[in-house]
Amino acid sequence: MTAVDNTQTSSSSRRTIELVVLVGLVTAFGIISALVRFPLEEGEKLRDVIGIIIGAGLTFIFYSFLYRDNPLFKIAENLYVGVALGYGAIITWRQSLRPEVYDPLFRAVTSEAFWHELSYRVVPIVLGILLMTRLSKKHSWLSRYSYGLMVGWGAGMGIFVVTDSYILKQLEGAIRPLQKIVTDPDVAANLSFFDQAWPVVGSLVILIGTVSVLFYFFFSVPHKRLGSGFSRVGISYLMIAFGASFGYTVMGRMSLLIGRVQFLMFEWLKIKQ
Amino acid sequence: MATPQEQIKRMTIIRHIIYALVAAAVVLPYIVKMDMPFSASKWSKKMYEAIDKLEPGSRVLLSFDYDPAAEAELYPMSMALLRHCFKKDLIPIVMTHWPDGVGMCKKACEEAAAESPKLWGKEKISGRDFALLGFRVGGADLILNMGENLKGAFTKDFYDEPTAGMAALEGVDSLRDIDMAVDLAAGIHVQVWIAYGHDRFDFPLGAGTTAVIAPKLYPFLQTDQLVGFLGGLRGAADYELMLEQSGKATQGMQAQSVTHVLLIVMIVVANARFIVNRLRGKQEA
Repeated sequence: MTAVDNTQTSSSSRRTIELVVLVGLVTAFGIISALVRFPLEEGEKLRDVIGIIIGAGLTFIFYSFLYRDNPLFKIAENLYVGVALGYGAIITWRQSLRPEVYDPLFRAVTSEAFWHELSYRVVPIVLGILLMTRLSKKHSWLSRYSYGLMVGWGAGMGIFVVTDSYILKQLEGAIRPLQKIVTDPDVAANLSFFDQAWPVVGSLVILIGTVSVLFYFFFSVPHKRLGSGFSRVGISYLMIAFGASFGYTVMGRMSLLIGRVQFLMFEWLKIKQ
Repeated sequence: MATPQEQIKRMTIIRHIIYALVAAAVVLPYIVKMDMPFSASKWSKKMYEAIDKLEPGSRVLLSFDYDPAAEAELYPMSMALLRHCFKKDLIPIVMTHWPDGVGMCKKACEEAAAESPKLWGKEKISGRDFALLGFRVGGADLILNMGENLKGAFTKDFYDEPTAGMAALEGVDSLRDIDMAVDLAAGIHVQVWIAYGHDRFDFPLGAGTTAVIAPKLYPFLQTDQLVGFLGGLRGAADYELMLEQSGKATQGMQAQSVTHVLLIVMIVVANARFIVNRLRGKQEA
C-alpha cells in the first residue's frame, strides 16, 4: 500500500466519521427542539416557535464554519444574503417607493392631482430609471447622467460639511482646553494645579500625535536623524490607535457571540434567566 | 522537527481548543453565578443625564441605524433608551436609515410600549406617545430634508398613518424642533448625523455604536459634537445600570469579563511561547 493510498483511506474514514457525527448532531438538535419547544405554551404562536428553531439551527450551521467550511454553511450564507436583500427590497418598496412614487401617481383621485404630483417628481423618477440602464450594455452610458449628478451633489455638499465638521471643529476641540485656561482668568483661578495641567498635557499629546503621524506619511523629505525619531513617535501613536481598535473589535465580536448564546439559552432552550 | 503537515494539524487542533475555551468562557457565567460589579463610564453617564434632564413631553429622535447583525450590542441600547423615554414621559420619534433596521425599530417600540404599563404604570400608544417613522432612502439627503421639513420627509409613519396631524409630532416641523437626537449605529451614520444634522440644525446629539466603530467617535466628544456616547455592549450595560433595569446587556457583562480574562491569558501565553521559540532558535543557530 502506497502513501497516497494511505492518505486516501484516512481521508475517506474521516469523512465517514464526520458524516456520522453530523447526522447525530442534527438528530440531537431535532429531539431537543421537539422536547423543549413542544407542546406550545399558552400564548405562544407556532410560527414564532418555528422561527426560533430555524434561528437556532442556522446559528449552529454558521458556527460550524469554525470547524471547517462545509456545504451547510454555504447554504446558510446564501440564505442570509438572499433574505437580507429580499427583505431590503420589500421594505424599500413599502416604505419609500410606494408612499413617495406609486401612491401619489397611481392612486391620484383626479387627473389634475396626477399631473400636479408628477410635475415635481418627474426629474427624480427619470434619473432613477436611468440608473437601471446599467443592466444593458448598449444603453448603460445613460446612467452616467444620474451618477454624475449624485457625485457632483455629494462632493459639493460634502466639501463644505467635511471641512467644517471633521477638520475645523476638531482643530478647535484640540486647542479649546488650553485656550480656556489661557484666556479665561476665572477658569484658571478656580482650577487646581492638576486640573490646569491635565488639559494642557492632553492637548500637547494630541498635537504631537497629529503632527508625528502626518509626518510619518510625509515622504517628500527623507526620514533621517531627528526626522526618523519623530516618525517613530508617529508609528507608536498609530500602534496605540490600532491596539485600541483591535481591543474594541474583539469586544464587539465577543458581544455577538454572547448575543447568540443568550438566544440559544433563553429563547431556544427556554432556560430561566 | 515536525513536518509542515504535522504543524498545520497541530495548529488546527490548537485553534479548535481556543474556540472551545472561548465558548466555555461565554457559557460558564450563565451556569455558575458570578458577581462582577461594574460602574457606568463617564460618557454613558453624560448621555443618561442629557436625556434625564429633558422635560416631560420633549421630543427625542431615535435613529436606529443597524440591522439584525448588530442586534446583540445595539438592541439592548435601543430598549434602554426607549424605556428611559417612557419612564420620563418623553416622546420618542423612531426612524432608521437601514431598510433591514425597520424590523428592529418595530420590535423595540412595540416591546417597550407593551411593558410600559407594568414597568412605569403608563400606557404608551403609537402616534400619541411615540412615533415610529420607519425607513426612508436618502442617508445624508434625508437628514437635510428632515431639517427643512420633517413631515414632508416622512409623509406617513410605519403603520401608514399620515404624520400631518399626528399628536406625537405636534410642533415638530423640522429637526430644529426636536429636543435631542440619539443615533444608534452599526456603520458610519453617526458621522453623517453630526455633519448634516447636529452641525447644521443645532440640536443635542448623542450616539451609541457597536464596539468596532467606537474608537472613531471619541474625537467628537471633546468638541461637544456629541453630548454622550454608549460604546458596544458595555455602553448598553451602563445605561441599564443607571436606569436600574437589568437586561440582556447587564447579563452579558459577566460573560464579557470572563472572555476578556481568557483572551488576555491566551495573548500572554502565545507571546511567551513565541519568545521561548525565538530564544531556542537563536541558541540552536
